[in-house]
Amino acid sequence: MSKLRAVRNLRICSKDCLCLYVCPTGATDTETGQIDFAKCIGCGACSKACPSGAISMVPYQYPKQQIKDELVITDLNKLIKNKVLEEQIAETIYKNSNDEIEKQLFKSIARANRLMAEDLYREAGYMLPQSKNTKEFLERLLEENKNIELKTDIEKLLNLLECNE
Amino acid sequence: MKKYICPICGYVYDEAKEGVKFEDLPDDWKCPLCGAPKNLFKAEAIEVTKDEIKDEVVESSETKEDLREMSDLEISALCSSLARGCEKQYLDEEKELFTKLANHYKNKAQNKESSDLESLISKINEDLNINYPKARKVAEEKMDRGALRVITWGEKVSAILNSLLSQYQNDKEFTKNTKIYVCDICGFIYVGDEKPEICPICKVPSFKLLEVKRGA
Ligand code: SF4
Ligand code: SF4
Ligand SMILES: [Zn+2]
Ligand SMILES: [Zn+2]
Repeated sequence: MSKLRAVRNLRICSKDCLCLYVCPTGATDTETGQIDFAKCIGCGACSKACPSGAISMVPYQYPKQQIKDELVITDLNKLIKNKVLEEQIAETIYKNSNDEIEKQLFKSIARANRLMAEDLYREAGYMLPQSKNTKEFLERLLEENKNIELKTDIEKLLNLLECNE
Repeated sequence: MKKYICPICGYVYDEAKEGVKFEDLPDDWKCPLCGAPKNLFKAEAIEVTKDEIKDEVVESSETKEDLREMSDLEISALCSSLARGCEKQYLDEEKELFTKLANHYKNKAQNKESSDLESLISKINEDLNINYPKARKVAEEKMDRGALRVITWGEKVSAILNSLLSQYQNDKEFTKNTKIYVCDICGFIYVGDEKPEICPICKVPSFKLLEVKRGA
């Protein structure tokens, strides 16, 4: 089994119990409420001690992505192409409008289309930021980009995300 | 006596129980659970002809796209999708970087097509009538559960968008006296004051249904 780390669901955590006490490294007690990943050794004690089920142990390394069929990807990409255009049209209507009621509706529609496009990408082979697909995407982006600041950011991402395939 | 089913959330309107014929309900009657308009409801008896897309051979078309064929908007959506993926893993720095990229490409994107209501509606209809049914057929054939999930959710959300836009065409101010919520997971739009306890499409609890404020 690969190494784990503890994460706390801040929506559930009542912030007042014994996970603080059981942690051997003091990683559970932070100003942000989240666990200090640098200190956490993944022992799982906090997760077992939590009465609210607010702490999960998550892996550092995820298993490989399942192979997706090219035909499925082609069709999902077609949908993505339309969804981003629909987002753009709705957003243009939003921007050009002076009417607050209309603006609110088209902002919502733009948002819905963005969410659908994002979700489609997850099923089109980009579920995991650590996947080979993501890595290759970032490398191509790096190659074609001329903007120095963005290049630095893309390089940072490539360094931070350890590819799991 | 018939039963009518909400295609979005599955709510059943049973004429026998309600004592009012479905067709006698007012035109602005809505699904009590998800707010879907009356005209989306389907009578139970009538089998919805599932595939308009008959057995035409699924053409094996384009091969894997490379970046040159990805528009700025698509790059942006992929980056914001990956940002969400990072957020789920509590990878804050990575999330920020992807978000930055997503914004950059979104701002860079050119408006190539006409941006009017008609083209928006026709694109959504193209999805509903052609793209979703075709994608569903392929995903079923390949037994891709994940793809089927995203297709099912997206198809329902698109049907809601389509109906919202036709309501808007009838009355530009139909949302005047209500709130609007968007499900942050699947994109479902709820027009109404009290948001449902769970998203009728993806079933996420209501705290993920975010209000889109007017004038914000
Ligand atoms: S898993 Fe162990 S080390 Fe990590 S925060 Fe919990 S108790 Fe502390
Ligand atoms: S034990 Fe659980 S609920 Fe209590 S403070 Fe720790 S994480 Fe929060
Ligand atoms: Zn419904
Ligand atoms: Zn939802």
